[in-house]
Amino acid sequence: MTIPRVSSVIVCHACDLAHRLDSLAGYARVRCVRCRAELYRTNDRSPDTVIALAATALVLFILANAYPLVALTVNGSTRMTTLIGAAQAFYEQGYGALAILVAFTAVIVPVIQILTLLYVLVSLRLGGTVRGQNVLFRMLAALRPWGLTEVFMLGAVVALVKLSAQAQVSPRISLVAYGLLMISIAALISATPSEQYWRWVSAQREPGGPA
Amino acid sequence: MTTPTTPGVATPGVPTPATGRSLGLLVCMRCRATVRAIGVEQSLCPRCEAPLYVRRPHSFSTTAALLITAALLYIPANFLPVMRTHEIFSDDDDTILSGVISLAHQGSYPIALLVFFASIVVPLLKLVALGEILLAIARGRVRNPRQRSRLFRMVEFVGRWSMLDVFALSLLASLVQIQSLAIVQVRPGAFAFAGVVVLTMLAAQSFDERLLWDAETRG
Repeated sequence: MTIPRVSSVIVCHACDLAHRLDSLAGYARVRCVRCRAELYRTNDRSPDTVIALAATALVLFILANAYPLVALTVNGSTRMTTLIGAAQAFYEQGYGALAILVAFTAVIVPVIQILTLLYVLVSLRLGGTVRGQNVLFRMLAALRPWGLTEVFMLGAVVALVKLSAQAQVSPRISLVAYGLLMISIAALISATPSEQYWRWVSAQREPGGPA
Repeated sequence: MTTPTTPGVATPGVPTPATGRSLGLLVCMRCRATVRAIGVEQSLCPRCEAPLYVRRPHSFSTTAALLITAALLYIPANFLPVMRTHEIFSDDDDTILSGVISLAHQGSYPIALLVFFASIVVPLLKLVALGEILLAIARGRVRNPRQRSRLFRMVEFVGRWSMLDVFALSLLASLVQIQSLAIVQVRPGAFAFAGVVVLTMLAAQSFDERLLWDAETRG
C-alpha cells in the first residue's frame, strides 16, 4: 500500500502542530507557530553553486590531510603531527575506541558529506535519476550531528595554548586548510536543507512544475 | 485506520490545536514530508523511503537508558585522570577540572573559561536538563512545553562542543613525544569522558520532542 503525501498541510516534526501550507507559500524559511521549530527552509541557490562549494571543500579536505597540522619544537628538535596522526595517538596508547571517535567525527564524516553531496548533485545536474538518492540522503541526515570539524578546530587551539606554556608551537598549513574546510562545510550544510534538495529533484523531473 | 478530516489552520493560543495526530497526518522524521497516517506501521515514506511512525518507537526508554548510563559515567569522567604527563622526576596526572585550572594558572583565561564551559558545565547541564524533561514527561504533566523544548534544543545544540577536550588531548598525545616515547599519556578518564559526550548526544537524538507536547495535551 502506498502512503499518500499531503501537500496542503505541513505537520511540525517537533510538536505535531498542523499548519496550512498554502498560506506559507513564498516563504524561504518557515517556523512552527507553537514551538518555533524550523519547518522548512529553501534558498534560490542552484545546484551548481553547491557543487562548486563541495569541490572547494574537497580540495581543502585533501590539503588538510596531506600536510602537518601543528609543529612542536623542544630543545631544537621539531615534531609535527597530522590530522590522522591525532587519532593514531589514541590508538597507539591502547584507546582504539577514542581513535575511531576522533577519526570518525573529524575526518570520515566530513569527507562522506562532501563526496555524497558531490555525487548526488552532479548526477542531478547531468539529468536523470540519482541512484540511491534516498539512502544517501537519509545517511546525510543521520550523519549531520556527528560532523565535528568546528569542535576539532577549537580543540586544536586549546592544545596549542596548553603547549605554548612549555614549548614553542606553531600552526601549520593543514590547520589553515582545516579552518577553511570547517567554514565551507558549514556553508555546504546550510545550502542544502532537505526541502531544497527535493525541490531540485522535482524541478528536474518536471521543469517549471511545482516543487 | 484513521480517516483524515479537513485540515484546519493552527493558531497559537487556541485550547485544542489541530495536530498531526488529531488530523490523521504525520511527518517523516528524515525528510519532513507530511503524509496521511493510513496503515503507517512498517510503512516507508513515499518521498525518501525512511520508516514512518507516529511517535519514535521507545523514545522515552531509549533516552532514559542512555541518560542513566551517561550519568553513571560522569563520575569516573570527572574523578579519574584523563592524562598523565611524564616529567624527569615525577609523573603528573590531570583530570578534566585540573586541566582547566592549569590553563587558568597559565593566564589563558578565555581558553580556560571556554574549556570549563565545554567540558564541565555543558555535560552537567545536559544531564540535568534531559533528566528534568524526562521526569516531567514520566509524571504526565508538562507545564511549560515551549520553555522545555527551548531548553532541549539548546542542550542539543551545545552538546557537541564537549568533544573539545577529547580533540585537544588527541593532539597533545600525538605531539608530545620524544623519539616516539610518549610524554603525554592518555588515562582511562578520557574514555569515560568521551563516553559521556557520545551517550548524551545519542540520548538527545533519540528523544522525540513531541512527547513534551503530548504530555501537555493530557495534563
